[in-house]
Amino acid sequence: MVCYKCGCRLSEHDYCTGCGEDVTLYKKIMCMSNHFYNDGLDKATVRDLSGALVSLRQSLKFNKNNIEARNLLGLVYFEMGEVVSALKEWVISQNLRPKKNVANNYIDTFWSNQTRLDAINQTIKKYNQALGYCYQESQDLAIIQLKKVLSYNPKYIRARQLLALLYINADEWEKARKELLRCCHIDTNNTTTLRYLREVEQMLAPEDGSKNTSKKKTGSGEVIRYQSGNEMIIQPVNGKERKGASVLLNLGIGIVIGIAIARFLILPAIIQGANAEISDNLRVVSEQSDAKTATIDEQQQKIQSLSDENLRLQDELATYEGTDGALKATDGLMLAVGAYLQNPDDVETIAGYMEALEQEEGAEEENRTPSFTDLESKFLAVVSERLGAYYYDIGFRSYNAEEFDKAIPALERAYRYNNTNVDALFYLGNSCRQSGDTDRAKEVYAQVIDNFPGTNRASRSETYLAEINNENQPAE
Amino acid sequence: MIDFEEELKKFRPSLEVEDAEEAINGYQNTMDMVEMLMKLSDRTKAKEEEQE
Repeated sequence: MVCYKCGCRLSEHDYCTGCGEDVTLYKKIMCMSNHFYNDGLDKATVRDLSGALVSLRQSLKFNKNNIEARNLLGLVYFEMGEVVSALKEWVISQNLRPKKNVANNYIDTFWSNQTRLDAINQTIKKYNQALGYCYQESQDLAIIQLKKVLSYNPKYIRARQLLALLYINADEWEKARKELLRCCHIDTNNTTTLRYLREVEQMLAPEDGSKNTSKKKTGSGEVIRYQSGNEMIIQPVNGKERKGASVLLNLGIGIVIGIAIARFLILPAIIQGANAEISDNLRVVSEQSDAKTATIDEQQQKIQSLSDENLRLQDELATYEGTDGALKATDGLMLAVGAYLQNPDDVETIAGYMEALEQEEGAEEENRTPSFTDLESKFLAVVSERLGAYYYDIGFRSYNAEEFDKAIPALERAYRYNNTNVDALFYLGNSCRQSGDTDRAKEVYAQVIDNFPGTNRASRSETYLAEINNENQPAE
Repeated sequence: MIDFEEELKKFRPSLEVEDAEEAINGYQNTMDMVEMLMKLSDRTKAKEEEQE
């Protein structure tokens, strides 16, 4: 401690040893300042920030150059969220002692982070704006703003107290209580906080008992509210049990409720299970049906393919039937050959097969195979002479009997099997002439003349041909 | 019972950063007990010299 007059270091005496000034009062003032500083420090240690604030301000009133008290005051302000006030105290402290001052570190922390400083300034502006809303009776907007403020600066005691006050005004006691408890957590002995909190506690538990429990009947008198620690418990009043008809009524209500539960909870589950089982069965049946349908389709495809195959074979068979002339002709020829081999003298039977073969030869001439033709020519070489004689005999007898219808084909066959038989050809011409077929007769006579010239049959054919021509000429 | 209006009047706008400079300068005008003592001492000495 130095003398405020000369700056000499003071001793235990009540006067300055340097200038002789009476420093009794000065020493007392300095002691009071230090005392309040110590008191503030003690309170700040136990988080009685409000009390510390008062003591430190008191200390500075005695000695405004008490650097330690001012720095601690800044810290207390900062802890309460009053950042600008804290900065103010630290700046003054820095001016008083520019070097070896902890306030330099605090200030440097802030100025080095400009973003944080801006955020703090915005927080303060929002708080002031919220206060303005309160004066304008826009409590809802004020609550919104204060919530924003507290999200940025949760230790801002004044903002939290104002928010609690707004909740109290809106009769939202629980919310107000929560905010006030947070305030108490930051500043344990804030008078405003404690006053609000007591009011809120009274509203939540008006009949506060000695054991921190109370009972309160509501307007209807059917419930009891009491506070147990931090919890509000609402308990119905224990009334006497009603007996008699009410018991039966309650029993009936219980049965109805049971039936309703069975109807709305159990029965749907059973129905759902049954539906699920039916769905499973339906699915199995459906799968079986699909399998059978697939089998039926497969069988139908087989039937269709077999039908197509059948049609194809029928067409093929028809094709074969269309070309079976060779087979039939072969059959006729084989029968004739067989008959010849069995009995070469049975010319009549051979002739019958050959006649049948003649009828088929006309339509199936083109379908004959070379083997058939070869066999036929060889067979005819063997039997043609006999067949020619057989048919000439039949034809000549028919000619003599004037049965020209029989004579003509027999004589034709006789000449075909034996083309050297001039008589057969001559009598064929006569038969045609006699039957009135003069054109055919003229052809046959011409054939006799050409094939057998110089013979008697040729000369007679010329005569008959001339006669036919004369008969056909118109009379002049 | 808390009167909302009365309680609201106790809340003052917070000091903004722009206002800090003015608050710091206002510190110069404040007077503590030591300064008052010095002034009183000066006045006392002045009166004593006048009486002598």
